[in-house]
Order: sequence, then C-alpha cells, then structure tokens
Amino acid sequence: MPETYRPEVIEHLVRPRNVGEITDASGVGESGDAACGDIARFSVAIQDNELADVRYKVYGCAACIAAGSALSELVRGRGLLDAARISKEDLRNALGGSLPAGKEHALTLVLDALHKAFEDYWNRAAGDMLIEGYGGNGKSGGKSVVAAMSGGVDSAVTALLLKESGYDVATVTFRLHDGEKGSRSCCSPDTVLFARDTAHRMGLPHFTLNLKDLFQKRVMRDFVGSYEKGRTPNPCVACNAHVKFHAAAFLADGLGFHHVATGHYARVGRGPSLARPKDAAKDQTYVLWPIPQELLARTVFPLGDYEKPEVRRIAEDRGMAVAYTPESQDICFIPDGNYRKFVRKEVAAEPGEVVDAAGKVLGRHGGVVDFTIGQRRGIGVSAPTPLYVTEVRPQSKQIVVGRKRDLAVREVRVRDLNVFLDPEEASSVQVRYNGSPVPCEVEETEDGDWIARLAEPVMGVAPGQSAVFYSPDGERVVAGGVVARNDS
Amino acid sequence: MTDHRVYLDHAATTPLDERVLEAMLRHLRGGRGNPSSLHASGAGAREAIEAAREPVAELLGAAPGEIVFTSGGTEADNLALFGLARVAESSGEHHIVVSSVEHAAVRESARRLQESGWQVDRVAVDADGAVDPDDLAAALRPDTALVAVMWANNEVGTVQPVRELAEMCAERRIPFHVDAVQAAGRVHIDMARTPVSTLAISGHKFYGPQGTGALYVRDGVTLDPILLGGGQEHGLRSGTENVAGIVGLGAAARLSDGALKERARHETMLRDRVISGATALPGVSLNGHPEKRLSNSVHLSVDGVEAEGLVLFLDALGFEVGSGSACASASAGHKASPVLLAMGQDEREAFSAVRITVGKDNTEEEIEAFLLAFSAAITQLRELSPISAT
Repeated sequence: MPETYRPEVIEHLVRPRNVGEITDASGVGESGDAACGDIARFSVAIQDNELADVRYKVYGCAACIAAGSALSELVRGRGLLDAARISKEDLRNALGGSLPAGKEHALTLVLDALHKAFEDYWNRAAGDMLIEGYGGNGKSGGKSVVAAMSGGVDSAVTALLLKESGYDVATVTFRLHDGEKGSRSCCSPDTVLFARDTAHRMGLPHFTLNLKDLFQKRVMRDFVGSYEKGRTPNPCVACNAHVKFHAAAFLADGLGFHHVATGHYARVGRGPSLARPKDAAKDQTYVLWPIPQELLARTVFPLGDYEKPEVRRIAEDRGMAVAYTPESQDICFIPDGNYRKFVRKEVAAEPGEVVDAAGKVLGRHGGVVDFTIGQRRGIGVSAPTPLYVTEVRPQSKQIVVGRKRDLAVREVRVRDLNVFLDPEEASSVQVRYNGSPVPCEVEETEDGDWIARLAEPVMGVAPGQSAVFYSPDGERVVAGGVVARNDS
Repeated sequence: MTDHRVYLDHAATTPLDERVLEAMLRHLRGGRGNPSSLHASGAGAREAIEAAREPVAELLGAAPGEIVFTSGGTEADNLALFGLARVAESSGEHHIVVSSVEHAAVRESARRLQESGWQVDRVAVDADGAVDPDDLAAALRPDTALVAVMWANNEVGTVQPVRELAEMCAERRIPFHVDAVQAAGRVHIDMARTPVSTLAISGHKFYGPQGTGALYVRDGVTLDPILLGGGQEHGLRSGTENVAGIVGLGAAARLSDGALKERARHETMLRDRVISGATALPGVSLNGHPEKRLSNSVHLSVDGVEAEGLVLFLDALGFEVGSGSACASASAGHKASPVLLAMGQDEREAFSAVRITVGKDNTEEEIEAFLLAFSAAITQLRELSPISAT
C-alpha cells in the first residue's frame, strides 16, 4: 500500500460505528457506483427535525468506510440543521486530518450519501404537495431564511449577506433536471456538490430538494407545449411561478423558518409588490412577476440593494470559489442554447405552408415549432424586402410572413394576471424580455383580461411572453401576465 | 494492535535470512575495495563477487559466466527487453510478443518499445491466467525479435508452461525472456533443460537482500547494455558493484538451492490449508490455476468486500497480506489489476482480491489464527457493505 492512514481511520475501519440500515427510515440516500469502486448508503430516522438515528453501509476503500463511520458519529442525535452543516473539513478533522493522496473523495462520497438521505426525507415529506402547488404557511420563525443556491456567485453572496445581517440561514439547491453538467458521473464536478461545498465553507447548512417531476410538469412540458401552440414561452417565468419559491417556502415551513430568499436582482416593495433593484442592468422583475403575493410577502432579495460588480467583489474579497463562475445565459435545461433542437426532440413537427397576410402561399416550412414571431431567419422564402414571421398558426400549420412594419402592435391582450397594486397605477408595460416599458393605458375586460393600449407601436409581440406593468415612477411592478393571442 | 505479527506477504518481499545477513555483515565490516581495483582490497572484493556468482548460477542450472548482477528484478527485465530489442533492431526485426499478465517491469518496457515504433502483441491467458502454447505459436512471425513470458505470475501465482514455450521459441531461433522473479528459489529451474535466452531473478524474493538481482544470459545470446560506463559485468551492467548485496544474493541462492524441496513441501502444506480454509467461507474463491501454481501463493476474490479495507483490517489484527489489485490510487481513483482483467474478471471482482503468500518460517498455528481473523474480517466488512451478495 503506497499510502498510509492515520490511526483514527484504522480505528473506524476496525470498529465502525452505526453500521446497518434503518428498516422504517425517514430517508435513504446512496452515492457512488461500483464502477468507481465505492458505494455509500445512509439511512436516517428524523423526528422533530432531529436525527434520532443514523445508519450507514459502505462498499469501498478503508477511507470510505472510516469516513462513513465518522460522519454517522458526527450527526447522530444532532438537530437536522446542525447535521446539514457538517462539512468535509469537519469530517476530515474527525478522522485526524487529511487523508492520503487520492482518498479525499471518500469525504465527498459519504457526505453526498447522507445528504441524499435528507433529500429523500424531504421528498417523502412533500409527497404531492409541491406538484399540486404548495402555498406555504409561513407561520413560524423570526429572522430565519431559506436561501436558494444554484452554485453561482449571486446566490452564494445572497446567503452570505443574509448570514452577516443576522439571519439564521439554511441553503437549498434544487435538482431540476438531468442535464446538469457532470451529473452522470460521480467523480466529476457536479452543481449540487459545488453548491453544498460553497454553503459549508460559509458554515451554513445545505439541503437538496428533488424537483425534477415538478419542473418537468410545470416548466419543461409547458415550454415544449408552447412552441407546439405557436407561442413563445419563457421557462424562467414558469419556474418562478410554480417551482422555486414554492419549494423554498416548503423547506422553510419544514424547518420552522419564516423567509425565503434568492439571488435575483429585485426588491420587495409595499403591498407587497415587486420593485426594481439598484442595478438596472440586472433587473429581473420582468421574470419574477408570477410570484404569488403570499410568497412574496416572505421573500427577501438581498441583491436588490447591490450592483453586480459589487456582488462579484464581495465574493472575491472572501476568497469564494464561486466568484469566478461564469454568468449563466441560456435556459438551464438547454445548456447549448439550441431551443429548436430541444423542442424537436420532444415533438414531431409537421411541415406546412408559408403564407402572406392575404393568404397567398409563398413556400413550405418544416414545422411551426421552428418559428416565433419577429423571426427573420430560416423562413426559406426569397423576397425583395426582408420577411418576418408575423403570426404562427399551429392549427392550420401555417406561418404568416410580412414586412417589418407588419410586426408593429399597438394593443396587447394580457391574461393570467398576478396583480400586486391597484390597476389604476399601471402606466407602462414591458412585453419583451430584452425590451423596455412602453407607456400604456389599461382596460380591464369582463373576463378579467387586461387590454394594454400602447402609446407607441412595439415590434414582435409574441403570445406566451410576459407582459409586466409598471407604476408611474417606473419603479414598482403593478401586475404581470401572459400575452394572449389577438384573436382569442 | 497485537504484538505478534504474522507475515503472509512473501510475494512482495521475504524477510532477510539471518545467515544471509551474517554473510553480508562479514563483508561490510571487512571489505573496503572496489572490485575493479588492482590492489589486494580490490581483488578481495572481486573474489567475493565471483564467489557469489557460483551459487546463483547453480540455483538456475547455469554457468557462472552467464550471470549478470543487477539492482533487482526490474532492472534485469529492462536489460533483457531493451538489450535484446536493440540488437534485433539492427537486423530489421520489429515485432515483440509478451503475455498479457506480465509484471509491470516487462509490461511497461514493452509499452515503451511500442511507443518507439515496435509492434507488440500481447498473448491472452485463460481464466486461470495460463498462456496456451498454441496461442503463442499463432502470435509468432518471421520478424518476431523477442518473446517474454513470466515463469510464475506475481499476483495469482499461476505457473506458465515455460519449457514448452521456450522450446517453441528455440526451434524458431527467437530470443525468449523469462521473468522468474517469483519462481527463483521456490521452483526447480534448470537452464540446461529449459532453452530460455534470458531470465530475471530478484534476491529479496528468496530471503536475500532488497536491491539485488541478476539476469541470466545464455552463452551465445547477445544484448546491448542499457547502463553505460565502466563496463562491469561483462560490459552488460556498468557501475561499481553492490558487493555486499551480491554476497547476500549468493548466500540466499545457496541456502534456497539446498532447501528447495523442503521449503516447497512446507509451503505447499500451509498454502493448501489457506486455500481449503478460506474457500470454505461463502463468497470466497481462488484465483489462478488450482494445481499449476506457486507453492506459497494463494489469491482470493472476496465477494462484497474491497481489498484495501480487508488488507488494512487484517493488518490491524496483526496479519500482513497483499492487496491483490495493488490498488494504485491515482487522483482519478484506483485501478483494477490488469492481470485479473486479462483473466476475464470484471472491475468489481478485480477490486475484491487479496493475496496471501506464505514463507518458510510460517507455522500451522499462524495459518489457523489467520483463517479465524480472515473470517471475522470479511464477516464484519460484509455487514458494512450495501452490495454484499452473500
């Protein structure tokens, strides 16, 4: 054996603590796979947020066996929050110091198995609650907050700022889909592992919630379905409407915490309502509008008072590894940014006609899912002036094209509204992700939709996109909703 | 954790025989000359070396002039492969055949030759780790410059049909190298009856000192040196000789040669007790050939247990055995034994192997105590294992 172990490791190897499995466990987690050589499994019995019992099993090297034993000893009988705070460093210390070269993975492996047992516990506790739409109770807790951590710099600094302003902080990372980088291999960097490590380095407890089903039903299916229906979806909006804040509130209620927080750039204003952040360039109010009011009332956005460069500097000053993570740009479940390819994998798109406004057939296309309003590329029809998609008609499989000025819209119908303030206050509306608000007047229809009459024409308003109404000073969100089809 | 330690890893190294140590100490205290010097001290050192060459030659059934002292088995293997290849290169040959279960010293030398343009074929082994002579025959080509097959495998202990393979190569006039590091001092080796070209041995595998070894080079076989300098050892191994080490190697060879049969009988009895006792436990199986194996070697696969933990567990109980897969921990994790993979085992099986190699000084009581500890260790480790099949 080229490496030597400390006596603490050998002691745990020969007299391992808490070996076994709990038959009626609250949660079970497993990490590693036989191809890598090592497997760890933890089962936990949780009562009143305390780890009444912990049992573990390991197949693997001596380091893995000892690390599992030491970890079980560290967490058994502890409060769930304290257990979720145990870091690799804590575990290393319990084993008498650093492990031989190449054996440090044992610490990650057993911690991951324990955390997967916690994840399983929350999953069982949630049951169908999240899928059905969890409203939260928010009854408990004082200055306590569940902060969502994606593994990026914004959410890490969010957790840090909350901790430093005196909150009890628990962090959470959501498993949303299988597309995370490296998630197929136990040995490569993984978003969840990175986020956990970041939280632990700040001394914060970390949990993982598996929201794959919820995300699939409420975000990905809707994303694909929208293209099928000729609409242009915004998956971040759908996620904020149904997933992130609800799940964070669920965890907060489970832990007896009051607040939830994310690393979004926005503020919570009177009402409560959404308000614009200090950093206008990073403003995310356009995608946050669907947060239900009862959740917004519990929400904290610490970054609303900071500019992005300040946030990065805070992370750098503390020596946080996340300071250097790249800015995320694309839709998280389509890392290569190729939306069409993703949608086409899910649906069989049928070819159809390209027509002009008068109904004259100009050519053929491969499927309506390939088109969105305002699109210029890929139409495949040559014309003296550039052609744009002005309408997508999924029923007749037609794409309507026209000149740029045909895209101009002066009236937008908005439905599925989430109203924060008195509709009277709505004085401008933003209808595109990369657009800016346009002055408008609002008329409420009998069926609860809003008709926004725009003071100036806007190009390429696509059904399915968000319409967000702002107050006269432009600082607060009055309401948000979804752009409806003109003819509906 | 216990005072009395039981050493069962003789394939890794053997304890230095007291009588060998005495011989070395006598030389270290008295000797001061360089064997290349002309004066009396030099002549004394030279005499000591030549006196050691004889028993080494005798152990192999060779002539003293056919023995080249080296720093050990690895150097002997390197000298044979690179030395023979370099000579063959000048005659336009560029093909090498090795078995797929060679020790790293041969395996890595062959890989280096391949990187520098040689074509290398690796002959498969059967599930017991043995080379089929027909497979070797099929791999040979008119331009084959060199064949290397080990006498006995260092991991699983399987003994190869060396004589048959050697005769096949001799008929075709293809140089044949044998790594006999595990076999020498344990198996009857007679160069007069087995027509190999070169053969590597190592002193510390038969109770001699570490850092000593030799390459047998049959009279008439030419090879180029890899160490250049003062031209010691017939020009094949330059560098002032490790005189005390060579004296120790000679003493160990003499002692082994005289006790070969008695040691083999004693080791075989202990080995068979380990095999019967261990394989009676559920989920424990023997690797390597059931009969054609080294007298001292037991190689076991233990279902549901990883070798490293088992070896350290037994160590804590006072029993020292080898990790069958020589768990080479790299940053990316560990590597399974290429020998077991070549024998058709999967990665998990290859991680679950331990090697128990007995020696002349082990006793039956030690073996019984080991079997009890082994049973206790695997029971406890299996209770720990989430994947245990048994």
